[in-house]
Amino acid sequence: MSYFFQLVVSGIVVGSIYALSAIGFVLIYKSSRVLNLAHGQIIATGAFITYSLTVTAHIPIYLSFLMSMIITFFLAMSVEKIFLRRLIGEPIISVIMVTIGLMSIIDGLIYLTPFGSENFSFPPFLPQQPIVYAGISISYTQLVGVIITFILIGLFSWFFKKSTVGISMRAVSDDQLASMSIGVSVPRVFGLAWATAGLSAAAAGSVIGNITGLNFSTLHAFGIIVFPVVILGGLDSLLGAVVAGIIMGLIQQFASGYLDGNFGLYGTAQVLPYILLLVLLLFKPHGLFGTHEIERV
Amino acid sequence: MKTYKISIWLMVSLVAVMLAMPVSSGAEVYKLGLSLAITGPTSDAGNPYAKGVEDYFRYVNDMKLLGKDTIDCTIRDDKYETAITKRNFEEYLDMGIVFYLNYSTGSTLGLKRDFEEVKMPVIPASFHAGNLEESNYIFLPIASYSAQAIGLAEYVVKNHNGKTPKVALFVHPSAFGRGPVDDVKKSVAAGLGMEIVEVVEHGKDLDNTAMLQRFKSKGVQYVISQTVQSPVAVMLNDASRLGLVAKTFGEKGKITFLGCHYTGGNDLIALAGDAAENFYWTTSYIITSEPGVGTDAQLALAKRYGRDDKAANSHNYANGVMVAQVAAEVIKRAKTRGKEVTKETLYEELLAMNGMNAFYPVTTVGPVTYSKDDHQGVDTLQLYAVDKGQFKSVGTPFIPEYTGKIK
Repeated sequence: MSYFFQLVVSGIVVGSIYALSAIGFVLIYKSSRVLNLAHGQIIATGAFITYSLTVTAHIPIYLSFLMSMIITFFLAMSVEKIFLRRLIGEPIISVIMVTIGLMSIIDGLIYLTPFGSENFSFPPFLPQQPIVYAGISISYTQLVGVIITFILIGLFSWFFKKSTVGISMRAVSDDQLASMSIGVSVPRVFGLAWATAGLSAAAAGSVIGNITGLNFSTLHAFGIIVFPVVILGGLDSLLGAVVAGIIMGLIQQFASGYLDGNFGLYGTAQVLPYILLLVLLLFKPHGLFGTHEIERV
Repeated sequence: MKTYKISIWLMVSLVAVMLAMPVSSGAEVYKLGLSLAITGPTSDAGNPYAKGVEDYFRYVNDMKLLGKDTIDCTIRDDKYETAITKRNFEEYLDMGIVFYLNYSTGSTLGLKRDFEEVKMPVIPASFHAGNLEESNYIFLPIASYSAQAIGLAEYVVKNHNGKTPKVALFVHPSAFGRGPVDDVKKSVAAGLGMEIVEVVEHGKDLDNTAMLQRFKSKGVQYVISQTVQSPVAVMLNDASRLGLVAKTFGEKGKITFLGCHYTGGNDLIALAGDAAENFYWTTSYIITSEPGVGTDAQLALAKRYGRDDKAANSHNYANGVMVAQVAAEVIKRAKTRGKEVTKETLYEELLAMNGMNAFYPVTTVGPVTYSKDDHQGVDTLQLYAVDKGQFKSVGTPFIPEYTGKIK
């Protein structure tokens, strides 16, 4: 039975990190209906900033982590201001194309630094021995990753439901023109959406970097890996990202634990989440918690 | 007077023309090309590799190892994309290259026919045995991934205590990763005494708990990896957390992890930290944590051209230096024999690099030998294991036996 619960714990850990990585997508889509395809690059940037502050500037890692989120917050806000603000009101596809260009620009900038083609790992800052209870183990790094994910998700949920700015962001997402007519600053909302997405991406990058080590290819791949999570959860739902992340994590672990290597099956952990996604989208095309928009003509 | 003036002008013009004429020194410039991933996936290997190639050719020119002649090797980034590699290769052909250095398994397989068509001798950074199938012009620098995996499997069989060892293969989901799987299976069928319990093709996994627990429940004692460092680092971290890593080779109830060339080196230690302890790794290259004549030369070369410690100590820097050494050596041999340096004569020199003509580059643990039937350069492998954060030699260089048996 401990095997089953070990898979549950591992599934939740992986799922939480997927959810944390997916939040950035959701935040931007929720306010601007734009899919930011450069999200993986921002995740990697956040991780590298945390590493640089910790190792080069010798700032304690907890502080580096917070500073990295703040720096990435302003970086993402600047990116929106420089590259995307002038596209407000333009077709969404144009904005998405710009995010593809942005992806190349960030790639190029990172390849100018040692982070582009070298491997690094964070200095150990948590106990190396895992927490073991009833035969189920979880490392401190994983546990901290899960805790950070849930704290951030809690904060973002509160922000969108209760704060004036969060409600403005939801309003802009629903109808830009109507929001403007009641005095909501659409450019400011877009800037904030990008900034908060940058903040969450830095957190995700630092957590992933602690688990996988800092390798640019591995880190920026998470921008694409979490895409099924975002679709499954519903593009504009924070709760959806969390639930879908954990579902994906659990499916992967159970498939790997019970199917792979048995019944002549291999690689089900990689394939099964996508099969589930396809089947689910047949019945719920907006994902589990996505907004089902009805357009009246 | 007029005639005198004309004569003076003619003389001055003649001197000016003579001064302006290039002095024919008889020096040749041999053009070579290298296309590889300096950015993009696997650039952690490609970057030091490119530096190794560049530095060695600069050294050849600076030290006048080819006399007045020089090597002009154009190095271009292909971002690990075969389409770009193909374009680079075609442009190199237009430049008139006489030797080509390639990189990835995918692009080597993809351009195999092109190499055949233009009869271009090629050394890739990919050691995939499949590169050599239906190819006359591709030469692997060292033992293939298959030979490496078989070598590791043989080491397991020879050093395992108890019943038949149970082994899992952990491979990259590509031709690069899958290459050795069939050859290891053939070795087992040919009598190599071990059981292959599972072959796992990994994804971008954040957690390998389920896989490792499954291995444990099936009694897997050894995992042989043929992939890159990052997934191995995640696996080692998880195995360490679960208390599954053997502290000594073959420790009962635990798993001993082993891997081929691109799974190991300093990059693995950088990614996995302490979890990399006791990881067994094989390659044909020397490593700087085991000082010797070759590593001294490698470090001196890197220092001469201002490389940082990370590049200087990378086994992929040695990898790049070595392929450049082979290319320079065949040019030198062709010149010594009074041949014109062309792709045809360099190909002949490669095929003649055996027996008394074997090449000892000092960056490898054995000699480079090629012939018509042998396009695998260094056949010898060395086993290394991580001890206190550094790879250290285990035993002496060896040649896997079963590579010959399954041919």
